[in-house]
Amino acid sequence: MSRRSIKGWSVTGVIAAVWMVWALTGLIYTPYDPQAQEFLDLRLSGFVSGHLFGVDGLGRDMLSRLWRGSGVTVVLGLLASSLTLLLASLLLAAERSGPLVLKKLIQGVVSIGIALPVLFVGLLFLVFLEPSPGTLVMAVAIGSVPFGYRQLRVLWAEQAGALHVAASRALGARRRHIVRFSIWPNARLQILSLARLLFAVGVLELSGLTFLGLTGDPDLPELGTILRHNQAYLFQEPSLVIWPGLFLSGLLLVVHLSNVRGRSTDKN
Amino acid sequence: MKAHALRFLGLVGRKVGLFVAIFLIASLALFTAIRAIPGDPVALRLKNPDPERVAQERARLGLDDPVIHQYVIYVKRFWTGDWGRSLLSARPVREDVSRYFPATLELSFCGLFLGILIGVLTAVFAEVFHLGILRRLSFLLGTIGLTLPIFWIGLLSLIVGSLWLGWFPGGGRFDFSLIKPANVTGFLTIDSLLEGDPVKLGAALNYLALPAFCLSFYPAAQVCSILRARLQDPHLVTLVAALRARGLGPVRIWMRHVLKVVSAPVVTVIGTNFGALLGGAVLTETVFSWPGLGRYMVTAVLDRDLYVVQNVLLLVILLVVSVVFLADFIAYLINPVAIRDSEGEES
Repeated sequence: MSRRSIKGWSVTGVIAAVWMVWALTGLIYTPYDPQAQEFLDLRLSGFVSGHLFGVDGLGRDMLSRLWRGSGVTVVLGLLASSLTLLLASLLLAAERSGPLVLKKLIQGVVSIGIALPVLFVGLLFLVFLEPSPGTLVMAVAIGSVPFGYRQLRVLWAEQAGALHVAASRALGARRRHIVRFSIWPNARLQILSLARLLFAVGVLELSGLTFLGLTGDPDLPELGTILRHNQAYLFQEPSLVIWPGLFLSGLLLVVHLSNVRGRSTDKN
Repeated sequence: MKAHALRFLGLVGRKVGLFVAIFLIASLALFTAIRAIPGDPVALRLKNPDPERVAQERARLGLDDPVIHQYVIYVKRFWTGDWGRSLLSARPVREDVSRYFPATLELSFCGLFLGILIGVLTAVFAEVFHLGILRRLSFLLGTIGLTLPIFWIGLLSLIVGSLWLGWFPGGGRFDFSLIKPANVTGFLTIDSLLEGDPVKLGAALNYLALPAFCLSFYPAAQVCSILRARLQDPHLVTLVAALRARGLGPVRIWMRHVLKVVSAPVVTVIGTNFGALLGGAVLTETVFSWPGLGRYMVTAVLDRDLYVVQNVLLLVILLVVSVVFLADFIAYLINPVAIRDSEGEES
């Protein structure tokens, strides 16, 4: 990797990392309690002294809610994307080591699963599980598996067919050795890129489900839920809708751009 | 020609087989999921009546029969349109679906049409005229369409279009002060057109404009990105140069040759993303209070309206799969070679 590419990746990568750390800090510290209705006299205000992002319709400090909400969103997104990556890897391993029938079955189901929106998978989960953040994480993780599996499969095919891997195989290297010393060093950046992509997809889908009110807790400080709640005050105080959306979109945009940049520098 | 027809028939056969398999998997999953819910669905439905009444209702619905028999009845009822009665609306589910589904389809088709139009125009102008600003615009469109949450785009467009400019209504599907056009297709725009009433048509379009605009971002981004990638393909550039050297005019080159090569993958992408479009429609309906199937389904899930859930979800799954397959068939008919190549890559 060239020096320029390291620099190029770090600009957006550092912004994303700083954003994540800031968001996660919100899980342990916020200026006010994000759920306490302490400022009822300042309801539906924009910027006022002591409240940078105003106060919502129930008298709660918006900065505290946004900060905690960003942290919760990031954690849920990380959990969902990690689970997706794990399940997609297991599926790929099953396809590679299983019989031809299993391979065809997996490919057939995935080709359709990829066309089914995660939102409907989430709705299906909520039919027989209680609405909760855990249920949503599971639904998003399983709904994103076809996409993650496809990306992993392309990655695997690319690496397994590479000349250096063929050379290692010709020299008699064992499978584990090839994976560890030939495939992994070349694939790790692409896997990182895939993980970022899955994280962005996970956050987007999760916030969609929470926006529909499927968390089970209408007071949960999470960006989709905050947007849902503040939608009622759209025409009275638009900033209550603009800020949570900006925080959510900012996170997604930074992750997306760091991925685009990362991919283009990989190619260089 | 005969070989092409045989290949097309083979493709149809494979897709039909896959459709049957997906129907079986989806219907089994829904059937099992509904039965895995704790509690007696009949008791829930009848709001805890006496045990005798519950037993009668269970016998009537066939819930005491063997599970396989119940599954067969469920499949049979699904295909005959006997979807039971909604717990919430107390109307037959089929009647509710025929009431809400056209609203969702009207919104989805308009969003899709607008998205294709924006995506194609941006990509073609960016690549044909090589304008830097258009290239940046297409990158921006891709970034917005693929990263920004659709519900936030919807809320922002309400703030701008309704609150600040006052050009569009704040939600809903039709003006309450007007009488709705007679229900022919269920699409208010088409029904207003059929009635020949410009005021109603204007109202229907005014209510449709913002939700369709929001929904168009995702397909526009997809179409723009795939079309740009195809137009930048070195093989296509060589093909255009060769055709130009043979003395063909630009219109003929574009309409007869380039369009054929680039439109097949675009059709496939549109088909594959139809499901995502429907998912986006659910969120858009929530933002704009659009009375569509998405809102109906979300309410049904939250209130455990099981007949609605098991039939409407299956219907949506089959619709998505059908559109994916239809897009594959159209893409094959446009350019059989490209589809054969991509299928070869798949396997």
